[in-house]
Amino acid sequence: MAADPKASAQSATDYPPELSRLPPGRHGLPREFVVHNQRERLIAGLAEAVAENGYASTTIAHITRHAAVSRRTFYEHFSSKDECFVSAYETVMEQLRERVDAAYQEQEEWPQAVRAGIGAMLGFLAAEPNLARLSMVEALVAGPVVVERYDAAIRSLVPYLEAGREGRPPEVLARLSPTTEEALVGGMVSLISRRIIAGQTAELEELLPDLVEFALTPYLGTAAAAKAAQGS
Amino acid sequence: MRPPPGRQQLSREFITQHQRARIISALAEETVARGYRAVTVADIVRRAGIARNTFYENFSSKQDCFLATQDDAVEEALRRVVDAATKVESWQERVDAGLAAFLHYVASEPALARTCIVEALSAGPASLARYEESLQSFIPLFRIGRKVSKRGEELPETLEETIIGGIFWVIYQRIIRDETGQIERLLPELVEFALTPYIGAEAAKRASA
Repeated sequence: MAADPKASAQSATDYPPELSRLPPGRHGLPREFVVHNQRERLIAGLAEAVAENGYASTTIAHITRHAAVSRRTFYEHFSSKDECFVSAYETVMEQLRERVDAAYQEQEEWPQAVRAGIGAMLGFLAAEPNLARLSMVEALVAGPVVVERYDAAIRSLVPYLEAGREGRPPEVLARLSPTTEEALVGGMVSLISRRIIAGQTAELEELLPDLVEFALTPYLGTAAAAKAAQGS
Repeated sequence: MRPPPGRQQLSREFITQHQRARIISALAEETVARGYRAVTVADIVRRAGIARNTFYENFSSKQDCFLATQDDAVEEALRRVVDAATKVESWQERVDAGLAAFLHYVASEPALARTCIVEALSAGPASLARYEESLQSFIPLFRIGRKVSKRGEELPETLEETIIGGIFWVIYQRIIRDETGQIERLLPELVEFALTPYIGAEAAKRASA
């Protein structure tokens, strides 16, 4: 993250009061680190506050309380709750994308790569229930500021499935339609969101075989897709 | 001269129904024009050409009106889908006829479709929950496919949810790109998408052609 030039010109005595909440001895840390740290704390604070209150009822006071920073610090980083939310959303999606991509790239064969990618996504969301709710449910509720980013994030999953067209026999390619991947991705995301809304985030990983079979069926046929879904 | 009492009662009922329908269609138009958040009861009242009191005789708030709009639309969609599906015999034909009826409804009511399929997602938690519930009501129509499928109960338990979610996502994308008018063209692709897991891709392609 780029340091704020004005901030780096400040002396150590100008550190904001919440720095005193960091363990002693850390006061010598560079301003840039503190700023970054505050930003991450605000983002985590927002995720906690939103999980607790829902986006609409979340106030900046909730966020700063969870982040243990001052209101002034909040406004040094973000101009509004919406802006903080967008930042949080992008941070979460970047992490999610990195995990999915790394898991996918690690596999040689496409069916296994899809399985690994879906597994990474479910694993991340199950382990981070607040972030899961923020990215898959509250992002929609938060309204127009995030909805476009949400749509784009979901569309960014399409190429992972499209890669499955490569090397398929001509009769398979002939019957796949232009919307196949869009419908597959939308169906998977919809199921995941529904489970999060129902408070079943911790059990998301149980969906792995179902989702893998669903995603692979149009390319491999039902029997082979079911086999790949079991990890064999 | 006053109309006979029975007749008056009938017309009052008619007027109430009519007012409700007008309010709902005004809400949908205003929502499309301004986005749900920005719409006020005053906007709805103005567009519907009714008194503010009349609005509050029918609904307790903007949100109440929005949820009623969702419920009405889902009820009407289901009615049309079931009507169309029961006119044909096989399950494959039923999926085709039901989806055709649904897409036709979406194409013929663009404001209502945008309100209930796009805006409903960002109109607050109650509305989002209502939307999710409404998707569930289509599950039984697909689930019958397990009886014609060779793999029957081996199919993933969540299959119907993912199929319906996928279909709605594709429709959602077309609506936000202002392609609602051409949505009926998606019929063969969506039918094939829905049938493939049950009867295999080749049979699904034939059934959707």
